[in-house]
Amino acid sequence: MQQEAAIREPLILGNKTYKDITDDVVGPIEGKAPLGWKVMITITSLIAFYGVGCILYLIGTGIGVWGLNKTVGWAWDITNFVWWVGIGHAGTLISAVLLLFRQKWRMAINRSAEAMTIFAVIMAAVFPGIHMGRIWVSYWVLPLPNQFGSLWVNFNSPLLWDVFAISTYFSVSLVFWYIGLIPDFATIRDRMTKPLQKKIYGLLSFGWSGRAKNWTRFEEVSLVLAGIATPLVFSVHSIVSMDFATSVIPGWHTTIFPPYFVSGAVFSGFAMVQTLLLIMRKTMKLENYIHTKHVEYMNIVIIVTGSIVGVAYLTELFISWYSGVEYESYAFINRFSGPYSMSYWIMMTCNVISPQLFWFKKIRRSLVATFALSIVVNIGMWFERYVIIVTSLHRDYDPSSWGEFYATNIDVGVFIGTLGIFFTLFLLFARFFPVLALNELKTILKSSGENHKAIQAQSNKKA
Amino acid sequence: MADNKIYWSGLEELDRTPEFERIESQEFPAERPVDEFLSDDRLQRANTGRRDFLKFMGFSVTAATLAACETPVVKSIPYTNKPEEITPGVANYYASAHYDGHDFVNVLVKTREGRPIFVKSNTETGFGRVNAKVNASVLGLYDSARLQQPHLNGEATDWASLDAAVQAGLKAEGRKVLLTGTVMSPSAKRAIAAFTGTTGAEHIQCDAVSYSAAVEAMSVDYGRRVFPSYDFAQAETVVMLNADFLGTWGDHVWYTNEWSKGRRPENGGMSRLHAFESGMSLTGSNADRRTRVKPSEQGRVAAALLRELTGEGSAVQLDEAVMAAVKSAAADLKRSGAKGLLVAGDNDLATQRIASAVNRAIGAVGTTMKLNENAGLFQGDDKAFSTLVADMKAGQVSTLIVDGINPAYHSMEAEGFKAGLEKVGMSVSTALFADETASRCTAMAPNPHWLEGWNDLQIEADRVELVQPAIQALYNSRPMGESLLVWAGQGQDWYTYLRQTHSAGYTAAAMYTDQDWNTGVHNGFLAMAAGEQNQAPAFSGADLQGALRSVASRKGGAFELDLYRKVTVGDGQQAGNPMLQETPDPITKTTWDNYVTMARPDMEAMGLNTYIAQEDPASMVKVTVGDKTMELPAFPQPGQTPGTLGIALGYGRGEGSEAIGKAAYQVGEGGDHLADVNGNLVPIGKNAFSLVSGMDGIPSRVAYDVSIEATGETYPLACTQIQHTYMGRDSVVKETSLESFLAEKSVKRGDASWNKTMGLNVHDDINGDGEINALDKKAAGEFDLWHDHPVEGIGHRWGMAIDLTSCIGCSACVTACHIENNVPVVGKDEVRRHRDMHWMRIDRFYASDWDMERGEAEGVGVISTYGKMEEPGANPQTVHMPMMCQHCNHAPCETVCPVAATTHSNEGVNQMTYNRCIGTRYCANNCPFKVRRFNWFHYPGYDKFQNFNPAQDAIQRMVLNPDVVVRSRGVMEKCSLCVQRTQSAKLEAKKAGAPMVDGSAITACAEACPTNAITFGDLNDTSSEVRSTYDNNRTYHALEEVGVQPNVAYLTKVRNTPNS
Repeated sequence: MQQEAAIREPLILGNKTYKDITDDVVGPIEGKAPLGWKVMITITSLIAFYGVGCILYLIGTGIGVWGLNKTVGWAWDITNFVWWVGIGHAGTLISAVLLLFRQKWRMAINRSAEAMTIFAVIMAAVFPGIHMGRIWVSYWVLPLPNQFGSLWVNFNSPLLWDVFAISTYFSVSLVFWYIGLIPDFATIRDRMTKPLQKKIYGLLSFGWSGRAKNWTRFEEVSLVLAGIATPLVFSVHSIVSMDFATSVIPGWHTTIFPPYFVSGAVFSGFAMVQTLLLIMRKTMKLENYIHTKHVEYMNIVIIVTGSIVGVAYLTELFISWYSGVEYESYAFINRFSGPYSMSYWIMMTCNVISPQLFWFKKIRRSLVATFALSIVVNIGMWFERYVIIVTSLHRDYDPSSWGEFYATNIDVGVFIGTLGIFFTLFLLFARFFPVLALNELKTILKSSGENHKAIQAQSNKKA
Repeated sequence: MADNKIYWSGLEELDRTPEFERIESQEFPAERPVDEFLSDDRLQRANTGRRDFLKFMGFSVTAATLAACETPVVKSIPYTNKPEEITPGVANYYASAHYDGHDFVNVLVKTREGRPIFVKSNTETGFGRVNAKVNASVLGLYDSARLQQPHLNGEATDWASLDAAVQAGLKAEGRKVLLTGTVMSPSAKRAIAAFTGTTGAEHIQCDAVSYSAAVEAMSVDYGRRVFPSYDFAQAETVVMLNADFLGTWGDHVWYTNEWSKGRRPENGGMSRLHAFESGMSLTGSNADRRTRVKPSEQGRVAAALLRELTGEGSAVQLDEAVMAAVKSAAADLKRSGAKGLLVAGDNDLATQRIASAVNRAIGAVGTTMKLNENAGLFQGDDKAFSTLVADMKAGQVSTLIVDGINPAYHSMEAEGFKAGLEKVGMSVSTALFADETASRCTAMAPNPHWLEGWNDLQIEADRVELVQPAIQALYNSRPMGESLLVWAGQGQDWYTYLRQTHSAGYTAAAMYTDQDWNTGVHNGFLAMAAGEQNQAPAFSGADLQGALRSVASRKGGAFELDLYRKVTVGDGQQAGNPMLQETPDPITKTTWDNYVTMARPDMEAMGLNTYIAQEDPASMVKVTVGDKTMELPAFPQPGQTPGTLGIALGYGRGEGSEAIGKAAYQVGEGGDHLADVNGNLVPIGKNAFSLVSGMDGIPSRVAYDVSIEATGETYPLACTQIQHTYMGRDSVVKETSLESFLAEKSVKRGDASWNKTMGLNVHDDINGDGEINALDKKAAGEFDLWHDHPVEGIGHRWGMAIDLTSCIGCSACVTACHIENNVPVVGKDEVRRHRDMHWMRIDRFYASDWDMERGEAEGVGVISTYGKMEEPGANPQTVHMPMMCQHCNHAPCETVCPVAATTHSNEGVNQMTYNRCIGTRYCANNCPFKVRRFNWFHYPGYDKFQNFNPAQDAIQRMVLNPDVVVRSRGVMEKCSLCVQRTQSAKLEAKKAGAPMVDGSAITACAEACPTNAITFGDLNDTSSEVRSTYDNNRTYHALEEVGVQPNVAYLTKVRNTPNS
């Protein structure tokens, strides 16, 4: 039996029993879909269809339907890619790193954070695919045996490293997430009365019987996977950053990128978790499980990573001056004073200044403020990638080729479309999957439940 | 036993039932009642049910789909009898010559399997160098808008009917006129003489762009009505007054190479060029000292020069700055004496006469300015033309035959000409297209394209250039000379007639046996016996005072206008040529339009947009010249004299939707032609010929008093370069003065103050002073992350050197590359979106008045200084820098491609494997020179490009070079250093069993360069020309400090700027 200090804020509020937890989590799955859910999924899937339409038009017509040009070869496509990969960072960090550090508060959020990760990585993977001029031969990036003789992929290319990094990360995240879902699926299976659903959840739960042996293995596998997943959290975005860092373009060619990108990714990932969970806890009535304390913990992560990002920005600026390289220093002067300075200052405001508000406990614990700031951070992080990619490219070495990038409707459409697909997937997840790791939550009910804390406090007093 | 086993097919057989026996006895089963079934009339009445319908439909669709799966069969038919000289896959070259009224040049025509696909200069035996217009003209051959047969009254007809009609017309009363451009062909002159002699017709010559003032001045001064032959190679000082002799003026295809011969700093000296002009011309951009004057001051500059040199005339009114420049130019002219030269471009008799006096004063006549006895270029007689138009309007002209010119478009009296044409009984045009003039004529008797027919041309007394057909005529055309002979009743085959011109007793029997002729055809010219010429006739002593008074009294209004020509579109003859339209103007870097060039302060005063980019359209202005107005976008031109405007001629072709080629009209974003409210197609740009006005009957391309106002509207312009200065990045562009160059002429490469090897600081005691500090620098080229490609000293290593001193920016290389490499034409909208596909571009940089030192000195702050450095100076110096793939030995593009589609060849070339490319564009992003071009769309098939992309036209597609693949959508492309040419040259050497000779492999750009600025060859060949440039101390690699180690090098630009 675990013990937790009584003065620590309880993680589960309300006088919850084990059955209450099951009811709260599984109830929505068993019941009918609420009207709000139907409305929301209609909207998101319409947006998703629009996005798919834009993507099909893009594939059918050519990359020229985007606003790219001879100078700026990547813009919204890779911005969106990096942004989505970044968002996909929080899930694994929460489930793996926090598991290893035995942070119990992760139990209320890890399931949805991981789902978010998976969906975000899927969205991220869309962009490297569709940004290719010839998507129909995109499988050439895989080192497959082929009949072209000795033709092989180029292992020097960071884009190839991306392929491996993203696919590994996606597979491990998916397995990790699924392993965690097994006991919860079993719970649903056991309660389900409708035969078809019972069958489906039965299949999904892989014959979980809840015996001690199952639990032992479950926990061992979780730990092993957490061990595997932890380095991935750092490797994926480090490798994504190398797309830029290994190039020769001023503003890209920067050794600070790997740590800077990783912290930025965690920063934006947590912001997205906040955005999603604050809505979900309200609509699915999970206020007792995800409450101010959880939000506060996450906000602390946001301050830390946001500050790292801020330091990185300033370091870049300093080094660009200190290096004495005219291209490098011009690239940064151009960032904050050139045609895209607006983007730069949006990025600075959203990513460096706004998270500092979380130093105030009031703001840190305010759900409304958190929600607003989480969106601000996500906007800021999108602009960060846009600034890095577009402002570095649009004025690089040879001034004769300097140009500007203007987004087209299709650029916007594809991005909005991926948001639509992402939210559609998340809504489906919220409807059919246990959104909290209910069996894991039950393990802390006795140590961190509000009623149990009260009992504990009384007995402490007596003693 | 086994053999008596019996098998039954059933119990019925065993039992032998009667029913079985009955069936067994019948060999065939019972008759099916088919007739009965078919004759059942209920069947006729039956409706096909829904299910049946779906079944039928399903079957049909499936069947049709399966049938469609078969690959279409494309038949290629081999020669039954292979022509001796044609081997599929091997190009043939034919010597020929080109003349279109302006560009007189000997050429070699490259044909593949009988199709001309490339035109280059015939440098061995010929005159002049091809320019962008000439080498792009091969595309015009295949224009499907060309007239495909003779036409009479707008209907297609045959030659017999047309000839009958013309001959009938010639019998009518009234003036009969043959109106041509300047005729340079001896045979045509002979035919014209025969024609006029027989029919009583007159012959009038009229040039699209008139030089009659210059010719008239020679007539007055020396009694010879000729355009002088200038010798720029000899000239040590050249002063030009609005004469763009490197781009468009005079016989520029001859001048460019000649002028560049005097611009080699290694030879110890350079000629000096002073320019006085209002707008920035190509020549002005190459001037050592360029002075901004107004058109009304041109004459006074000439007068001031004359006064400085001879003291003749009275003091003239000029600005102090202009006067200082005049003094400097005059001093140089005086110093050079007979090796000086003044050329004036204005079509104004007074200025031309004063210019002639200046040349006379320094003794240039006979040395740098020669007057030939035989009439050469520009023999147009504007006064005769004016009289003709008056007579036409009066209905006194019964027959008019127009050849080689398009007066309904380019004449200053175009409206009168058009009106008069209606009153001409029989009007005939020999144009290739139903253009503005031809479409209004009674008869159209199309000439063959210059690549299709025989012709002869003469500019020098001692030789006749021969034009030979490089392809069987595509359409039913007939040479003008032959038509004239037929109409004169002396019908003769043109080829025989041409031969007879040069050997009187020629008969068909001698067709192949005349060795002189055969050599002539091979070399492209026939040598003529010519006696000693007096090229410096005596001065007539004509009085100059009138001219001096005339120029002294000229007054300009608030704005003055200069109508110039672009090196791309010229006089508009090839308006339907998409490659020329898409070739950026070398100065403004703008494509597909004309516009009003203005000085920035004037634009700012009028509130016009001075930053033109993709989403920053130009402001529209209305220019009023006399009673004519024209609305055009305004373009901020550095170097433009304040208070002056410039508009390019040659645009606005096809205002009446004439069939002059699909590409001559504007298209919408979807690729369809735009139409105006009347349903007419919208021409590209506006016709500025309509602003030409007569001064004493001579068309003047300047106007001294025009007004301009903003209309408040905007118009997008498509520019390939929107940043005009090089931001002080002297590792991109290096330049120096002749003085500093000569001071360090013989120092080792890398040591000269103006071309120091770039050093990078390292944390190591490199210089051995015992300390690690800022002095410890290692040459940028010595930093190595990778193993070097083993190309040094092994096999071939292709390299290129580009001399920025010689490059004049004429863009002949751009079009040559465009044609050679099947580079897609992408149209205005795509160029505006910064997606031009040129593999070879010319970066044009203006100097800024600001640099970091000045910013620091004036305490302006870094950010503002950078802002100011983006602005070109008011009268900036200009650099033209050809830029293409630099073929880096440490190529940043190669490492980042995930599928290894771009790799380094073992000959040092960065290669692009199109069919491996998946289109990530990472390589283009990582290219420091931004030379990679991505196929954003399927250019050979997508609708947006239907009206201008040659690959989308069934006939124009024939111009595509079969040695170079047409790239598909979604792949990256870029300069290959013409790998198809090096491969074929290697093959030739291999077949010959001998090592490759320097110069046997040459890229299209190097071949096209009129000033030999581009050298290509094998860097491993120690005796090659390109190898020796690597030891030249002017040689540098652009962006050396990035460490990419290019195989393309540049030679520092040297300017011969005067001190005062």
